[in-house]
Parts: sequence; structure tokens; C-alpha cells
Amino acid sequence: MTQFFQQLINGISIGSVYALMAVGYSLVYSIMNFSNFAHGGVIMFGAYFGFFFLTLLRFPFPLAFLSAAICSAILALIIERVAYKPLRERKAPFLYFIISAMGASIFLENLVIAIPAIGPTFRTYPEIFNKQPIKIGELAMGKLDIAMFLISAICLIVLIYIIDHTKIGKAIQATSYNIKASALMGVNTDFILVTIFLMGGFLAGIAGVLFGMKYTVYPQIGIITNKSFIAAVFGGLGSLPGAVIGSVLLGIIETFTAGYFSSQYRDLIAFVLLITVLVVRPMGLMGKVTEDKA
Amino acid sequence: MKKKVLALLMVCMMIVSVGLAGCSSKTETAAPAETASPADETVKVGWMGSLTGDQAVWGQCELNTVKMLFEEINGKGGVLGKKLEVIGYDTKGDPQEAVNVAKRLTTQDKVCAILGPNASGNAIPIAPVLEEAKVPDIATVATNPKVTVLDGKVKPYNFRVCFIDPYQGAVAAGYAADILKAKSAAVLYDVGDDYSQGLTEFFEEFFVKKGGTIVAREGFKTGDVDFRPQLSKIKAANPEVIFMPYFFKEVALSANQARELGIDAILMGGDGWPSEQLISMAKDAVEGSFFVNHLDYEDPEVQDFKTRYKAKYGKDVELNGYLVHDAVLMFVDGMTRAGEANGEKIAQALETTDIKGITGRIKISKETHNPEGKDAAILKIVDGKYVFQQKFAAE
Repeated sequence: MTQFFQQLINGISIGSVYALMAVGYSLVYSIMNFSNFAHGGVIMFGAYFGFFFLTLLRFPFPLAFLSAAICSAILALIIERVAYKPLRERKAPFLYFIISAMGASIFLENLVIAIPAIGPTFRTYPEIFNKQPIKIGELAMGKLDIAMFLISAICLIVLIYIIDHTKIGKAIQATSYNIKASALMGVNTDFILVTIFLMGGFLAGIAGVLFGMKYTVYPQIGIITNKSFIAAVFGGLGSLPGAVIGSVLLGIIETFTAGYFSSQYRDLIAFVLLITVLVVRPMGLMGKVTEDKA
Repeated sequence: MKKKVLALLMVCMMIVSVGLAGCSSKTETAAPAETASPADETVKVGWMGSLTGDQAVWGQCELNTVKMLFEEINGKGGVLGKKLEVIGYDTKGDPQEAVNVAKRLTTQDKVCAILGPNASGNAIPIAPVLEEAKVPDIATVATNPKVTVLDGKVKPYNFRVCFIDPYQGAVAAGYAADILKAKSAAVLYDVGDDYSQGLTEFFEEFFVKKGGTIVAREGFKTGDVDFRPQLSKIKAANPEVIFMPYFFKEVALSANQARELGIDAILMGGDGWPSEQLISMAKDAVEGSFFVNHLDYEDPEVQDFKTRYKAKYGKDVELNGYLVHDAVLMFVDGMTRAGEANGEKIAQALETTDIKGITGRIKISKETHNPEGKDAAILKIVDGKYVFQQKFAAE
């Protein structure tokens, strides 16, 4: 029984990192109907921003955290302006957006490798939380894991509050429902897009720093960000609660497969389950049923 | 109009010339830019290894060492009166890329020998390329048996300067059972890596032979960063020792996660451990752990090289530097005895190598192309330092 709860804790903790990454994919998808693969690159940059703020500029941790998030938000906006806006103005097909996003993602990864000050090797964050676990009976929880879970949860709650209860949130919802009609009704859709990318980038920065603290920073972070994208699809692309639930579920499924069967089957079983869900519910667990958002 | 065309033409020419100039500096060469010396005076030697990826730290150290040693050798007049030049390419730690690099070195650059790669997974697949081109390769830290021997047959052009996995796994198992008096052990290993699998296999075999029990055996895949599901399972089996036969980045992550889960078993590993990064990432988690290594860092034999490297590059030598140092010695000895820079003849000479390297005596066996009877060193991590315990040979 202890094993079961320990694995559950492990799974939720892994899932909460996926969740923070996954909402970024969902946010952009909900408005622009394409998968912003450059989000993974922004997460990686967020991790590097945090690392350099902490080690080179010696910022105190909360300030480094915030600065990394702001820098990532600006980076996300730059990518939007450079890689997507020109396509949007020419009303290019969505496939072109996806290709442009992949291009941006590959560019960011190789940019990091090419800059000599950053380079291809991985970097280690200074220790912020010590490794002594907090114990409840037989169960052990790392301090960093608890902090990661809480920070993820707070960010997600604030985000969902903004979307549901503020004026800009309503405008985002309207734009995601129908971008042309919202523009006709007086919503400044360009401003909404800017907001979406800033919010997505901000969260990417936070996710990047948390990821870096736990697992080190390296350019090939894409394996993990791709998983969070899959979690977002699983939960229903475009739905924020869906992205969160999909991520936590993926984390738990992975952990239990590794813990009770074999880690070799982890991805196999997790993704077979995922495909099954999508076959039964093509819109994901909580996605909206629409024809053109396939 | 004419002026415009002319201007355009000139711009085009400038772009082309800039492009060409850029192309010519693609490879990293150690030879000084004295183009005046005739081409047949220099001997091209290939090097391959990871310059990007997780093991980039080691690859860069290897290439630096080769460059430094070649400069020193050239300063003393070279080998057989010829200057040595290293041509180094990045394998990115990828087996397929390693084959491409080997092809490029043998067919395009026409090197007479190759040093590296350090990883077994990259050293194994290049054998057919070497055999076709008749160019010998001296691997540095590739410890898997299959690097030099396949299906009981020795590969004619593959050599190495390090001991092999069975030996390393056996040494770790023997030390755990005989000296640490452990009765139970668990293994966490990388299922996608030849090195990790090799060590695991022989650790288990020898630990059981010594009367111990393997209580858990968990795998992960290259690129994984979270090991808590597997470690939670290992924790439930409550072993005295956890054997972690993989590289320092994963070692650091898994050791940290093990301690976070409240596991206090002794951690053990192989030569994938030693690195400055391991200590900076997981100082507390690996405190009191043991690992098998190729040498003792405080051995008087290695001090001279250590200081020379530090003086030149301002960094500490990684493990790979010591082994590539001996690979260079082995090559120079082989070429001198061969009498010319010919791949086939050097390969023949290498078969009868018997030299004293800084990591120990290197006496190559004709049947296996491995150095025979090299002692392993057991190191313990105390206060973030590698403390030599004893030389240990497995029976």
C-alpha cells in the first residue's frame, strides 16, 4: 500500500510539470488552431534564463524566477512577431504555421548549442531546496517536488481565474470561439494574440526554471516538452482544465506502468492508452466538439 | 545600368569568397597554420568522440589532450621525422553518426589511425568501416567486450587502452561482497545502452557467485530524467547496495532522487561516474559511494600530465584525458615500430604493444586486442573528493 501511495505522489509530481508546459500549447491552440511547437524552445530558454540569473547575476531566487518568466514571455512574443505574424497577414494555411513553429523550435535548440557561452553541455542549478525529504509515515516527498507542485497549482489557478473572470479573459474566450466574429464585435484580436503569447511564454519560463531545478538544463529538452504536448492533446487541445487533467493522468499512468510492470513498457502502455482515448473521444478528454479544429 | 550589373557581380564574388573562406575552417586541426611545409611531411590522425550532448565534457577533454600531446611531440621533431596532425569530428554520441565520421576520416581525410571514440555504443559499429579501409582504431574508454571481439573472433583493426566491462562489473561485485560484506544488491540500468547492459550482466553474475542476492533489477531509457518510479520499487526491496552502471548525469539525478525518496543504501558504479559535474550536482547524495575506475587520480604517474593540462587549458583533466593520453602513446609506439604511416602496418605493430602508460602497463593481447591484467582502482567519494581505497582485481 505504501508503494501505491508513493508511486501516486511520484506520478502527480511528474504530471504537474507536464501540466505547466501543456497549458502553453493549449492556450495558443485555442486561439490560433495550430500546435505551437516553438513553446518547447521557449521552455528551454526559460530554464537557461533562470540558470544565468541565478549563477551569473546572482539574483535571489524569487527575483531570478520572475525575471526568467518575463524574459521567456518576451521571447514568445518575438517568435510570434517573426515567425507567425507574417503568415497570419498573408492568411497562410495552418500547415505553414506548424512548419514555421517546428522551424522556430529547431532554431532555438541549435541556437543554444551554437552560442559558446551556453554550449551543448548540460548545466546544473545551484541547490535551492536541500535533499532531505519530508516524511509522512513511510512516504517521502522531496521539498523541491512540493514546491514545484504548489507553484504549478498556483499558476494554473490564476490562469484559469483570468480566463473565466476578467474582461480580457472573456475576450480570449470570444476570440477562441470565433476570431472573425470577435474582431467584428470590436475585440482587438491582435492584442489578444499578444496577450496569449505573453501568458504562454510566462508560464513556459516558470516551467523551464522548475524543470531545470529538478532535472538540469540541456538543449535537448524536447523529449519532455513533446510529452507535455501529447498530454495536452490527450486532455483536449484548447481546453485548459483538459491540459491539466491530461498531464496529471499521463504522469500517473507513466509512473504506475514503470512501478508495477516495467519501465521498458512505460511509454508503450501510456501511449497505447492515449491512442485508445483519442479513438473513442477524438476531441480528447475535455475538448470541444468542433469540425474545423481537428 | 552597367554599373549596377558590375556592382552586383562584385557583391556576388564577395559573398562566394566569404563562403569559401568559411568552409575551409570546418575541421578542427592542431597543426599550426604553416602551409609552407610539404603535405607528405605531416601524418593525419583521426579522432572521434562526443563534442556535443551529455558526454561533451569528456569528448572536449580528449580532443584537447590529443592536440596538446601532438603539439609537444611535433615540438620534439615529430614521429619518424614527420609532424602529427589531428582531425577531430563530433559523433554527437550517436552510433550512426560515428559510422559516418569513421567513413569520412578514412575515405576523405585518409588518416592512418583513429583515436577514440570513448563510448562502446559508438566504437562497436565502426568496425566494418575500419576493416574496409584497413585503418586501426584505438578506443579510449569503450569497455564493452564487443568493441574488439565479436562472436569469439578478434576484430583486426579495433584496439583499446582500457579494461573491459566483465572485469569492471566483476570488480564492483567482488568489492561489494568481499569488502563491503553486502548480501543483497539492486541494479538500476540503462536498457538502451551496451555499456550499461554489459556491466549489469557481469555484476549480477559475480555477485550471485559470491553468495549475494539481486533483489531488484530496474531499467530506464536513455534520455530519461525521472527515476522515482523505479527507485520506489527498489526501495521496497530494501537492498544494501544499489549498483548504478551508467553515466554521471543520470547518476547524479538518480542519486538525488534516491535520497529524496529516503533510500540510504550504498551506491556503487563504474567508470561512467567520475566527473566534476557529478560532485557539483549531487555532492550530498553520492557521499560515501564507491566506484570502479581506471586509475587513481593521486597516483604519482599521472601528476605530470595533470599539471601540464591544467596549465594549458585552465581546467582539470577528465578521466578520458588520461586514457586518450595512453592511446596517443600506443599509436606513437605502433607507428615507430611500423616504420611508416601505413594503417595496415600500424595495426600489425599494435598487436604486439607492450608499453608503460600513465594508467598502467599496456600489454595488448593478440587474441582479444585488450590490455591484459590492468588493475582497477576502487574510489570512494568523501567530502566531494575521490579518495583512493585500493587496487582491486577480480578473480
